[in-house]
Amino acid sequence: MKILQSNAGVLTNCEVLELLKSRGAGKDPTRVIAAVAPSEFKVYDYLEQTVAFKQTIEIIHKFVEDCKKYDLANGEMLNVVNIRPSSAVEIDPIIQDCDSRMGDRIDEFLENVVQVLPPYPSQLESNEDTAEDKEETTDDQQTGVK
Amino acid sequence: MFVMSEIEHTLRLPPHLLNRPLNAAIKGELESLFLDKVIDKLGLCVSMYDILSIDGGFIFPGDGASTYTARFRLVMFRPYVGEVISARLKESTKDGLRLSLGFFDDIYVPVPLMPNPYHTEPDPEHKNGTRWVWEYMGENYPIDWADEIRFRVHTVNYPPLPVEQGKDSEQKDSEEKDSRQKDLKPFAPMVITGSLDADGLGPTAWWV
Repeated sequence: MKILQSNAGVLTNCEVLELLKSRGAGKDPTRVIAAVAPSEFKVYDYLEQTVAFKQTIEIIHKFVEDCKKYDLANGEMLNVVNIRPSSAVEIDPIIQDCDSRMGDRIDEFLENVVQVLPPYPSQLESNEDTAEDKEETTDDQQTGVK
Repeated sequence: MFVMSEIEHTLRLPPHLLNRPLNAAIKGELESLFLDKVIDKLGLCVSMYDILSIDGGFIFPGDGASTYTARFRLVMFRPYVGEVISARLKESTKDGLRLSLGFFDDIYVPVPLMPNPYHTEPDPEHKNGTRWVWEYMGENYPIDWADEIRFRVHTVNYPPLPVEQGKDSEQKDSEEKDSRQKDLKPFAPMVITGSLDADGLGPTAWWV
């Protein structure tokens, strides 16, 4: 076995999910007929529980376009797409030196994230509350119903 | 989390697969070889992305099967250091936490990387388990079993294969050796060490 290129491209969770879906992972309730191995089904189960479930390639392209002006590293953009942070405190571990690089534009960036990337269904209600409370509180003291 | 790696491999196609179309047969063979296996420095192979080329088809003397050289791309699970990932709690002991992604279970959060300050208490639901509780501004935030936990990748290690441990043959210690071997965890070819010690990490219920 020879490794020709150890890094031939990074994949978002969405792209891996699309790959598994194109092989028939989502459509087979018995999980025997599809050309997908049991270990791949475990990956499919994990990805289904993340926000990648609702994303499409077009959405990701649009998000990358919109984020060019923020000068983020590739890894940071990938992480934001995979996690979909909806508040400043969630962004903090993802983007290094967040305060000094983004400063005031953090809210603008968050708006972008929340609008372009679709939320995971159970987060939908608590995110609507975030939009209303945002003017009142900068921190996340929300009491959204899950 | 996922990276594509391009690999070239020479494989022998067993004769009983000769009636299948070449692409499908090679794909099946490669999948049984690589899927769900850890390749050193590349990560855990999750899936095959595509086959770029298949060359060869030579039959070596004395062999009934043809040998092909295939170039293909694999989807590898290889998180980078500093990536934030969501996982579920698998074990909670006095040495720290063990998190699981469903398809990958060897994620450990050792005590030094737990959110500071904290205190531990014995877990009421699991005997021998420990419940970790973060203290912040006078409030107690426990790490519960139902939560989705976000951690940041601290390191990714690929420990080498262990050598056979049967050299010390003190017969009177045989019981002790048996109990020690039962406690030994099965060998993990890829171990991720995670950190919870930053704002925004830990159970999402703490921050949302």
